Amino acid sequence: MRFLLALAVALLTSPVAAQTGPVQALLQTHAEDIAKPSRRTIQPVLDDLAASDLPAMPDFLEAWADKGVVRHDADGLFFYGTREGDIYALRSVEDGTDVGEVARRDASELKPNAGVRKLIATALVQFQLNDPDPDRRRAALDSLSRNPTPDLLAPLRASIEAEEDRLIRNRKEALDRLITIRFGTDQTARLTAIDWMADRISLEARAALNAVLTTDRIVGTPPEGANIARTLQVGTDITAEVALDLLADEGIVPDAVSRADRDAALVANIAGAAVAGTPVAQLDTEEARWTAYAALSGTGLAPPRPPVDAAAILLAMNPITEVYDEADPAITEAAVAALAQVDARVARAQAADMTLDAVSLASIYFLAAIGLAITFGVMGVINMAHGEFIMIGAYTGYVVQQIVPDYTWSLVIALPLAFVVAGAAGVALERLVIRHLAHRPLETLLATFGISVALQQIFKNIFGTQAVPLTSPDWLAGAWSLNDVVGISYIRIAIFVLAAVFLALLVYILRRTRLGLEVRAVTQNPGMAASLGIDPDRVGMATFALGSGIAGVAGVAIGLFAQVTSEMGAGYIVQSFMTVVVGGVGSVFGTLAGAGLIGGLQKGIEWLNPSNTLAAQTYMILFIILFIQVRPRGIVAQKGRFVQ
Amino acid sequence: MSALLEVSGVTKTFDGFRAIDDLSFSVNEPELRAIIGPNGAGKTTFMDLVTGKIRPDAGTICYGDLSRDLTKMSEAQIARAGIGRKFQKPTVFEDQTVEENLTMALAAPRAPFAVLFRRTDARVAARGAAARVGLEDRMQTPAGVLSHGQKQWLEIGMLLAQEPRLLLVDEPAAGMTSAERERTTEMLVEAAKTRAVVVIEHDMEFVRRLNCRVTVLHEGHALAEGSLDHVCADPRVIDVYLGRQEAADA
Amino acid sequence: MTDAASSSGQKYLGGAGAGPRPLIARADVLVFLCALAFVTIVATLMAQAGWVSTSFVKLLGKTLCLCIAALAMDLVWGFTGILSLGHFAFFGIGGYAIGMWLMWSRTEGIVLETLSRAPLPATPLEIEEAIGSQIFGVVGSSDVPALWTFAGSLPLQLAFAVLVPGAIALIFGWLAFRSRVVGVYLSILTQAGTLALSLWLFQNDNGLRGNNGLSGLQNIPGLSGTPQSTLSLWFLWGSAVALALAYLLAAWTVSGRFGSVLRGIRDDEARVRFLGYEVERYKLAVFTGTAMACGVAGALYYPQAGIVNPAEIAPIASIYLAVWVAIGGRGRLYGAVIGAAVVSLASSWFTGGGAPDIDLGFYEIKWTDWWLVLLGLSFVAVTLFAPKGLGGLVDLWTARRAMRRQGDLGPDQGALRAEEESR
Repeated sequence: MRFLLALAVALLTSPVAAQTGPVQALLQTHAEDIAKPSRRTIQPVLDDLAASDLPAMPDFLEAWADKGVVRHDADGLFFYGTREGDIYALRSVEDGTDVGEVARRDASELKPNAGVRKLIATALVQFQLNDPDPDRRRAALDSLSRNPTPDLLAPLRASIEAEEDRLIRNRKEALDRLITIRFGTDQTARLTAIDWMADRISLEARAALNAVLTTDRIVGTPPEGANIARTLQVGTDITAEVALDLLADEGIVPDAVSRADRDAALVANIAGAAVAGTPVAQLDTEEARWTAYAALSGTGLAPPRPPVDAAAILLAMNPITEVYDEADPAITEAAVAALAQVDARVARAQAADMTLDAVSLASIYFLAAIGLAITFGVMGVINMAHGEFIMIGAYTGYVVQQIVPDYTWSLVIALPLAFVVAGAAGVALERLVIRHLAHRPLETLLATFGISVALQQIFKNIFGTQAVPLTSPDWLAGAWSLNDVVGISYIRIAIFVLAAVFLALLVYILRRTRLGLEVRAVTQNPGMAASLGIDPDRVGMATFALGSGIAGVAGVAIGLFAQVTSEMGAGYIVQSFMTVVVGGVGSVFGTLAGAGLIGGLQKGIEWLNPSNTLAAQTYMILFIILFIQVRPRGIVAQKGRFVQ
Repeated sequence: MSALLEVSGVTKTFDGFRAIDDLSFSVNEPELRAIIGPNGAGKTTFMDLVTGKIRPDAGTICYGDLSRDLTKMSEAQIARAGIGRKFQKPTVFEDQTVEENLTMALAAPRAPFAVLFRRTDARVAARGAAARVGLEDRMQTPAGVLSHGQKQWLEIGMLLAQEPRLLLVDEPAAGMTSAERERTTEMLVEAAKTRAVVVIEHDMEFVRRLNCRVTVLHEGHALAEGSLDHVCADPRVIDVYLGRQEAADA
Repeated sequence: MTDAASSSGQKYLGGAGAGPRPLIARADVLVFLCALAFVTIVATLMAQAGWVSTSFVKLLGKTLCLCIAALAMDLVWGFTGILSLGHFAFFGIGGYAIGMWLMWSRTEGIVLETLSRAPLPATPLEIEEAIGSQIFGVVGSSDVPALWTFAGSLPLQLAFAVLVPGAIALIFGWLAFRSRVVGVYLSILTQAGTLALSLWLFQNDNGLRGNNGLSGLQNIPGLSGTPQSTLSLWFLWGSAVALALAYLLAAWTVSGRFGSVLRGIRDDEARVRFLGYEVERYKLAVFTGTAMACGVAGALYYPQAGIVNPAEIAPIASIYLAVWVAIGGRGRLYGAVIGAAVVSLASSWFTGGGAPDIDLGFYEIKWTDWWLVLLGLSFVAVTLFAPKGLGGLVDLWTARRAMRRQGDLGPDQGALRAEEESR
C-alpha cells in the first residue's frame, strides 16, 4: 500500500505523466524557434500559432511573453512553470492543470527579448480581440488604447466584423479611427477618421485629436513648408520672461540672472566695504543692487543680464511660432474643427452630468430638510437637534450592520428602524422640551441646540470620535455611466428614488389623509384649527414623529456615502435651514424647490470654481442672504392675510 | 374745514379677495367720525392701509396740508406725520412702567442717535399725559399688571401723548365695563375737539353715544355716510345688516 | 417735530436728588464695579504672591473679555430681541485684526534680526518676502496678500478690529432688517452668514492662513523682555477696565427712552413702529454697535489666548454666546456677565481635568467627555424651568429685601405670567 502511494507520487511528480495535446503538438513543430526566439524568425511561428485558432493559445502566448513558460530539458516539452525555490511547479499548456514538479536545473525558462515580447503581445491582442469573454476583449482594447501601435490596426479591423457586443464594437471602431488618425499615411483615410471623431464624446477621441495637434515652439523664422499653428504674441500668449527664456535657450540673449545669482555675485565681489565702487551699506534697495550688478558685469566680473529694456525689439526680430508636428495642414485644420465640435459636445455632456450631480445633491438636501420643513411649518419652531436625528438614523444603520452582517438585509431592516428610532427621539423631544416652550421660538431654538450638543457628545462617548462605516450592499456599489463624461453612482440614484418616494408619501399624507388635513389646518391658522376641535398637541407630536423619522431615514442614506460621525448632522443643519427658508415654510413643494435651487446652485458654483468646495458653500450662502432680500417668504410663499 | 385725510379709489386684494374695493373716504380736522360695518367689511384693512402696514393695489391716500401721499411712506414716517393708531387688542409694553410707556410716546425726536445722546427729563410731561387718562397715580406700575380697561386708557394716553392730528381707534370699547366705556367716550369726544378722530366700532350703542358722523363700510367700500339715524334709515344699510341677519338665522 | 414738551430739560446722567439716579449710583452698576475691582485686585495680589499660575490669570483675563461679548449679546438679544447667531464672529474678526499686527510685527523683528547677519543690507523686497514665507509658508505661499497691506501698523489694525465688524454688521444688518427678516428667520440668516465667513476663513488661499489661523499672538512685539506673568496681569487689568467701561456704556444705553424703545422693539416691534420710531434704524444701530464692541473684546482676548483660527468663528461659538447669556439671565446686564463668567470658568474647570471624575462602579464619568452633555442638558433645564437664568436669583434676594420695589422684569415676564394663568 505504502509502495503504491509512493509510486503514485512518483508518477505525479514526473513531467512524463503529462499528456500531449494539440497545443503541445503545435508547439513542438516550432520547438526550437519558440525556445530560442529572435525577432527575425518568430513572426512566421506566431502567424502559425495564431492561425491554429486553439482556445488555449492566448493563455500560452500571455505566459510566454510573461516569462512564465519553461521547457523540460529531458523531453523538450513546454509547460507553464512557477518557480518555487529550487523547483518549478508545472502546469499543462493544454488546460492549465497541475502536472507535477521538476527540479530547477532540469528545465529552462523561456526568456523572449523585448522585441519578441512586443510581437507576441501583438499576436496576443489579435487573439484577445476575438476572445469569447467580453471582459478580455475590453481589457485588450484598454491596453491597445493605452499604447496604440499601427501594427495592430489590421487585427483590430479584422475583429470588428465579428463583434456582437454593441459597446465593444463602438470602441473597436473608435480605436480603429484613432490609430488611423495617428499613424495612418493616407490623407483621405485620416480625414475621414477625423470627421468621424468629431461626432464622438469619449476621452479617447479628444486624446486622439490632441495628439494630432501637438506643437513645438520655434524661435526665429520657421523652416520652409512648416505647418504653423500660430505666432505667439508676447503679453497675450506668453509672458515676456518666458519669451526671453526661449531666446536664451537659443543663445540669442544671455540667460536670465535671478536675484539669488545677483546677490551671490555681489557678495563674491565685495572688495573692502564696496562692490564695484558702491558701498555695501547702500545696497539696501533692489535698484541699487541691480545697478551694482550691471557695473560688475560691465567689468566682466559677472555674466551679463538679458537686455530687459530691449526685449520688445529682440522679440520682434525673433518671432516665436508654434509649429505642428503633423506636417499636413489639411489634417491639422480638420482636427482643430473636429476638436471644437467634440469640446462643445463634451461641454454639453458635462452640463448634463452636473445636472445629475445637482439633482442628487438636491435629493439629499430634500431628505435632510423636509422633516425640518414640516415641523417648522406646523409648529413654527426651529429644531436645532434635527441634524442629530440624521446622525441617530446613521448610527442605527451602523448598529444594525453589526448585528445583521448581510448588507442588503441590514439595509432593509435599518431604513424602517431608523425611521422608528429617530421618530421616537423626535416625539420625546417634542413632549419633553418643545411643548413646554410654546410661542417662544427663540428659546426653542436654543433649547434644542442644548439637546443637540448633548446628543452629539453622548454619541461621541458611546461610539468614539472615529468615523464608523456604514457599508452599502454590492448592488449599490459602482456607477451607471452613459458615456465617458456623464455618470452617476447607484447610491445617488437610490437616494434620488428614496427622496421621490418620501415626496410622494408626504404629498399623499398631506393631501389625502385626516392627519394631513389637520396638519395643513394648523400650519395655516393654528388658532382657527384649535377652535375646530383639532388637538394641536397631537398634530405637533405626529408631525414631529414624521419629520424626525424622515431625518433618520435620510441619515441611513447619507451614511452610505458619507462618513458616520457624531458631528455629521451638524454639517447638514444649516443647509437644511437654508433649504426650508429659501423654499418657503410649510410647503413640501417649497422644500423641493429650495433643495433644487440650493443643490443646483452649489453644483453650479463648484463647476465655475471646481477646485474649491468651501468657496462654493460660501458663495451659496451669500446668494441665499441676497435671495431672501428679494423673496423673504421663499419660493413657494404661504399666502393669505393671516401671514405676518 | 378742509380734508385732513383724503382716501380715493383705493383697492386692496388678498389672493383674489377684495378686502377694499374702490374706497373713497375723507375726514376733516377737527372731526369725530365712526366707521361701522359688518364683519369682513374691511374696517381693519382700511386702518392698515392708512397707517402704512399694507400698501394699496390702486388709489391714493393723501394726508395733511401738503397732501402727502401716505402710500409712499413707512409706518414710522406716517406715525411721525401725526397719525396715531390704537389697536383692537390693547397693545402696551407690558414689561415697562406706565411712565416708560408714555415717555416713549411723547412727541420728541425719534431718530436713534437723538434719543441716545439728547436725554431730557420727560417725567413732568409723562405725568401730564397720564393725568389725561387718569393713570397719574400708577406711574411706576408695570403696564402688564394694569386692568384691561386701564391698558386701553394707557394706550389712548400714549396716542394723545404722540400729539397726533389724526387718531385711528379700533374698537376701543371692546371688553370694557360700562363705567369704563363712559370714561372712554369722554376721552374720545374730548380728543376730537382739537383733532380728527376716526373710531371703528361694532357696538351701535357706543357709536350712538359718540354722537357723530357715521360711515358704513360694506364689502370694502363706503355704503352710506351721515348721522347714525340717517344711515340707519338707509335701505341699503338695512339690507346689508338685516340680510345678513336673515342669512345667519336661516 | 418739536422737542419734548418736558419743561425740566435735566440731563439724565447729571440728574440728582429727585431726578433719575445717576448711572454710577445705581445699585447694580455699583455692585458690579466693586465686584470687578475686587476680583481683579485679588487675582493680581495672588499672582504676585505666586499662589495662582500665569495661565489662571490669562483665563481670568480671557473670561472678562468674554463677558464683554456677552454684554453685547445681551444688548442685542436680551434687550432688543434680535437673536444674533453671529456675534462671536465679530469677536473673532477683532482677534484676526489684532492678530495680523502681532504676527507681522513679531515676524518682522525676527526677519530683520536674521537678515542683519547677511553680507548685504536687506532690501524692502527681501524683508517682505522673508516675512511672507515665514507667515504663509504653512499654506504653501510666500506672497503677502493684499489683506495684509496695513498689518505693520498698530493703529490701523486696531481701527480695523472695530471698523471691520462694524462694517460687516452694518451691511448685513441693513440688508436683513430692511427686508423685515425677524425672529428665527433672522437667527438662521445670521447663522448662515457666520457659516459663510468661517468657511471662507477655512480656505488656505484667502490670505489668512486657512485653518492654521494666526498663532504666537501671546508674544507682544517690542515687549519680548517682559515675562508672560507680567503681561498676563497687564492684560487682566486692560480687560477689567474694558469690561467696566462696556458695562457703564451698556447700562447707559439701556437706560432712559432709548432702552425703552429697545425693549419695546423686543416685545412688539410693530407697535413701536406706529409710535413713529424707525425700528430698523434702532436695530441696525444696536446690531452694529454691539458688533464693534465684540471686535474690541476679541482684540483683547486673542493676545491672551495666543491663537485665533476659523473654528473660533464657526456658528457654534456664537450659539454658545447666546447660551451664556440665557444661563446668566438675559435682559439684565449683570446676568450676561454672570452667565459668561460662570459657564466659561466651569467649562475650563471641567474640561481642564479640574473636576473629579465620578466612579459609578460600572462606569466612570470622565468630565472631559461628559461636560458638554451636562452643559447641554443644564441649558435645556434653565430654558425650561428658570427662564430668568442665574440672574433670577438676584430677584429673589431683592424681592425679599424690598418687597414693594419694582425690579426690572425679564423678557419672559409675559410668558411667565401666561404660564401662571394657565395653571
